[in-house]
Amino acid sequence: MKSIKDIERTMDFHGEALDNIFETYRLMRENCPVGRSEKYGGFWFLSKSEDIFKVEQDADTYSVKPTMLVPPVADFPMIPIDTDLPELMDYRRILLPLFTPQALAKMEKPVRDIAQDLAREFADSGTTDATAGFARALPTIFFSRLAGFPEKDWPKFDAWVDDILYERTLDPERAKKAQDAVMAYFDDLIEKYRGRTIDEADTGTIMDYLLEAKIKGEPLSRQELLSYCYLMFLGGLDTTAWAIRASLWHLAQDLDAQRKLRENPDLIPMAAEEILRTLSPVQAMGRTCKKDTVIRGQEIKAGDRVVLLFGAGNRDPDIYDEPEKIKIDREDNRHLAFGAGHHRCLGSNLGRRELVIGLEEFLKVVPEFTLGDPSEKWYGVGRLTLNFKK
Amino acid sequence: MKVLLDSHRCQGHARCAAFAPETFVFDDDGFSRVREGMEDVKPENAPGVRKACANCPELAISIIED
Repeated sequence: MKSIKDIERTMDFHGEALDNIFETYRLMRENCPVGRSEKYGGFWFLSKSEDIFKVEQDADTYSVKPTMLVPPVADFPMIPIDTDLPELMDYRRILLPLFTPQALAKMEKPVRDIAQDLAREFADSGTTDATAGFARALPTIFFSRLAGFPEKDWPKFDAWVDDILYERTLDPERAKKAQDAVMAYFDDLIEKYRGRTIDEADTGTIMDYLLEAKIKGEPLSRQELLSYCYLMFLGGLDTTAWAIRASLWHLAQDLDAQRKLRENPDLIPMAAEEILRTLSPVQAMGRTCKKDTVIRGQEIKAGDRVVLLFGAGNRDPDIYDEPEKIKIDREDNRHLAFGAGHHRCLGSNLGRRELVIGLEEFLKVVPEFTLGDPSEKWYGVGRLTLNFKK
Repeated sequence: MKVLLDSHRCQGHARCAAFAPETFVFDDDGFSRVREGMEDVKPENAPGVRKACANCPELAISIIED
């Protein structure tokens, strides 16, 4: 048995550490809510919801530089998430209009059409992997169209995302190679957009918005464009796929919830929030302390890295009744799945709609399903085998 | 019952749109405010406004009971 001190010292939220992460979070919340890990160069970590919200909303004390990601996924600052106010808002404003409730209303039908086709194809075909067939396919198709990533390139995306996000703690060299490949890809794509040698140009895509954008009268530099594209690529594809996959993973085991949602699809948005709370695609993000401060009596020095464990805050018993339980009809659900403060996930409202519509269409078409392989994990975007009557 | 929205706290999560779309309205960047004339909450809108308040990640919404 590892001691509490050992668990604190080796605190991690990637790879196999996620196998038992909810137990780890509980121990940390109860014993060292402001803990110190030696991983990734050393960092403080916060596991209480209140502390995490406070840091997220305190831009005077905390910076995201050099990067929000722990460990990093790029060797350059990613736009907009690795920038602080006021530049942050200049960058965010470029794309904010694409993700308002008004803008999202127009995306309902295209998302639903894609989800419906994918669900039918999944139900009819002999395949059983709901990740490839549905959870990853939906954001790949919808978000790539919205972003203006040409369809012929989509087959390359999954491997790049896997290498950059999931291999980086195991095989950094491989992650770096994928990072370079994605940057080269966008370098080429930006050139095609500029030369209008591509069908997607001028169609109101994210790429168009970025290329047309001006900050204080100046267009974005090449490096700024590349950085923004890189972040959109990672943020738009992986997290939504995780959320859809995790929802199906849970429903495959909770047949009562599955039945309830089929009978009463109006409950799906509430269920989606609950999955986002309990099985959050982004388990943690980092900050750097700008000036000496104190959290729960623990001194934090300027320059120290602080990791916000969203996944732990989301199961904080001070905030939620029966926090470890996935209750699809939980009403008050002020969770941290998309972060908070100025860095609130830019695509949160799109991600939510893709998840809700995806679940609605999947449950309409695919009959009662169960887990085909209980060894498959709750996290990530790996295979999810579902059994159901064809 | 009255509802107030602190626009300095709002970060555009749009949870209020999910629970009380009749009460909140959004600007072109997706930031919320209380729709004109909706500050006094009608009884039929009260449950939705309460949910919007409870679910706002930024605690930007406050309710003043009569």
